[in-house]
Amino acid sequence: MIRFLKRINVYELVRPVGQMVLFSLGSAAFMSAIAISLALALDGTAVGASLMDKYNVSLYTYTMLNLPQVIIDGLTIGFVYAAIALGYTMVYGVLEFINFAHSEIFAVGAFVGVELLIALDGMGILAGASLGMAYAYLILAIILGMMAAGGLAVAVERVAYRPLRGASRLVPLISAIGVSFLLQDVIRLVESLTSGQFNRIMPTFGNFDSRIVFGKIAMGTSKLTLGISVKSIIVIGSAVLMLVGLNYLVNATRVGKAIRAVAQDRPTASLMGINVNRIISLTFLVGGLLGGAAGVLYALKFTRIDPFVGFFPGLKAFTAAVLGGIGNMTGALLGGIVLGMLETFAGSYMGVFTMGAAGSEYKDIFAFSILILVLIFRPQGLMGKHVMQKA
Amino acid sequence: MSLLEVDNIHSYYGQIHALKGISVEVNEGEIVTLIGSNGAGKSTILRTISGMMHPKKGMISFEGKDISKKEPHEIVTAGMVHVPEGRGIFPTLTVKENLEMGAFTVTDSRVIEERMEYGFSLFPRLKERIDQFGGTLSGGEQQMLAIARGLMMDPHLLMLDEPSMGLAPILVELIFDIIKDLNATRGTTILLVEQNALMALSIAHRGYVLQTGEITATDTAANLRNNEEVQKAYLGVS
Ligand SMILES: Nc1ncnc2c1ncn2[C@@H]1O[C@H](COP(=O)(O)OP(=O)(O)O)[C@@H](O)[C@H]1O
Ligand SMILES: [Mg+2]
Repeated sequence: MIRFLKRINVYELVRPVGQMVLFSLGSAAFMSAIAISLALALDGTAVGASLMDKYNVSLYTYTMLNLPQVIIDGLTIGFVYAAIALGYTMVYGVLEFINFAHSEIFAVGAFVGVELLIALDGMGILAGASLGMAYAYLILAIILGMMAAGGLAVAVERVAYRPLRGASRLVPLISAIGVSFLLQDVIRLVESLTSGQFNRIMPTFGNFDSRIVFGKIAMGTSKLTLGISVKSIIVIGSAVLMLVGLNYLVNATRVGKAIRAVAQDRPTASLMGINVNRIISLTFLVGGLLGGAAGVLYALKFTRIDPFVGFFPGLKAFTAAVLGGIGNMTGALLGGIVLGMLETFAGSYMGVFTMGAAGSEYKDIFAFSILILVLIFRPQGLMGKHVMQKA
Repeated sequence: MSLLEVDNIHSYYGQIHALKGISVEVNEGEIVTLIGSNGAGKSTILRTISGMMHPKKGMISFEGKDISKKEPHEIVTAGMVHVPEGRGIFPTLTVKENLEMGAFTVTDSRVIEERMEYGFSLFPRLKERIDQFGGTLSGGEQQMLAIARGLMMDPHLLMLDEPSMGLAPILVELIFDIIKDLNATRGTTILLVEQNALMALSIAHRGYVLQTGEITATDTAANLRNNEEVQKAYLGVS
């Protein structure tokens, strides 16, 4: 046991946590500074006046009151994006190929997890479950979603990508888009055959919807409540655990070194005795496991899913991967957090700052504007060159 | 029975017929060299032997077993290691990690450690660079790393593709001394591909001369050195 503990590389456990804290605090501070400056600047204008008229609160106070919730929501969705983005980035790192079916892998994970919980709910098991059992069922749903998504990702690679490996780069890309549509329709078919409904709702159980309140701060005439929903803690906590685990796998284990070796030079890796196909399958498996877990967590946070549920999170996670530098795992983490934060800030404040002219329905524009801007001005992404890739 | 027997193989790159009926034999304990000008097919022979590509016709056997349809990772575990042209150092793995990759299929960490130490005894420079990324090494150091990494499997047969390429003369000499020494003291059998024919023939027991995918001559190294055709074409003697 001691021997085993000695071989644990503590640095590779601490380093990713440090990065997450740094990226979270950094992007929260950056976005808050922008929101507060805008609020202060707009307070004296018609925007501030109209808010004062309606709610008797200054724009600055309003911004500050909402800030904690916005940051927590931003982090929650940011970690979900990061978990999905890692699936894109790992596959890209190893194969230089964008797995556009990853969004549907995510969706399948969400469906499998939610269907399990709906089934348990239908049997009346969830309603009477103790808190401990509620968590056990949620964990079971996450694990099942992960297994389904991981297995599916491996199968998709085997059937739809591997036979095309020698072909030009566009060919597997088109295959991936085809698989993506196919999987959407398979979900629809299965749902219409079994439940007859495309929209599935995550059952309410456990204490996931309650809020933990840390305290209240007086803010002019209003009170600022500092709190966080249990859901958000679960989403962030699970994502952090998975990301630390993934980082450890890739950076501190023998098989992780093999993944990096295959990413850097596939023919030479095979000369080392590495079974390259197996490493590629493993990469898809790991990406699928993360995507599947992200799917169930997403369903927990947003409650409603449908067969197209993968599309926007998938596209945004892809944007996050590109923003961080595709192929770069730290970049995917940074990109996910930054994008989640940016989008939530935009969604929460844009409506007020523009007097309702551009509400939260425009928040998606930010994600995709970022994609375009990054591709034009910094195609290698924020973190630069692919860490797993050839220098 | 020879350790390695390559029997009349044909290899293609798409439509390009790169090997047109090549037969090569390597006996236990020998240093055998393949010489020939650029594009003759030397690297293709090694790639076909190590399973990176498969021959369309012909047969390759190693220790009496047919390996012509095996994958590279299977051939490595059979005891044959190919150090590729251009060294194939993983640029963002450290020197240590590169060496560990060389022993990927070895699970006993003590054995890995021992072999790494042996590599450091041959190339002390690598030990000084142990935590440096492979991509930051000089060309000579990368070649040392490539050879040390190849030895991490303790192969029966070591195939080296142009280990002298791009190195300063003094380093070329060091590398060739080590190859000779490996063969003499450890009994490692070596198949050496070289454009530097003079150097290769000076340490080899036997050699094959290759031209556009065909073998044009084979003999002992001493005889090849004295062969007029070979001298004209590859040894710069006129
Ligand atoms: N990847 C490849 N694709 C197509 N043709 C190749 C490839 N590699 C080598 N060739 C061709 O095969 C022939 C033999 O090449 P090679 O074995 O690399 O020669 P050598 O190692 O003797 O310089 C050459 O004509 C070369 O152009
Ligand atoms: Mg060559």
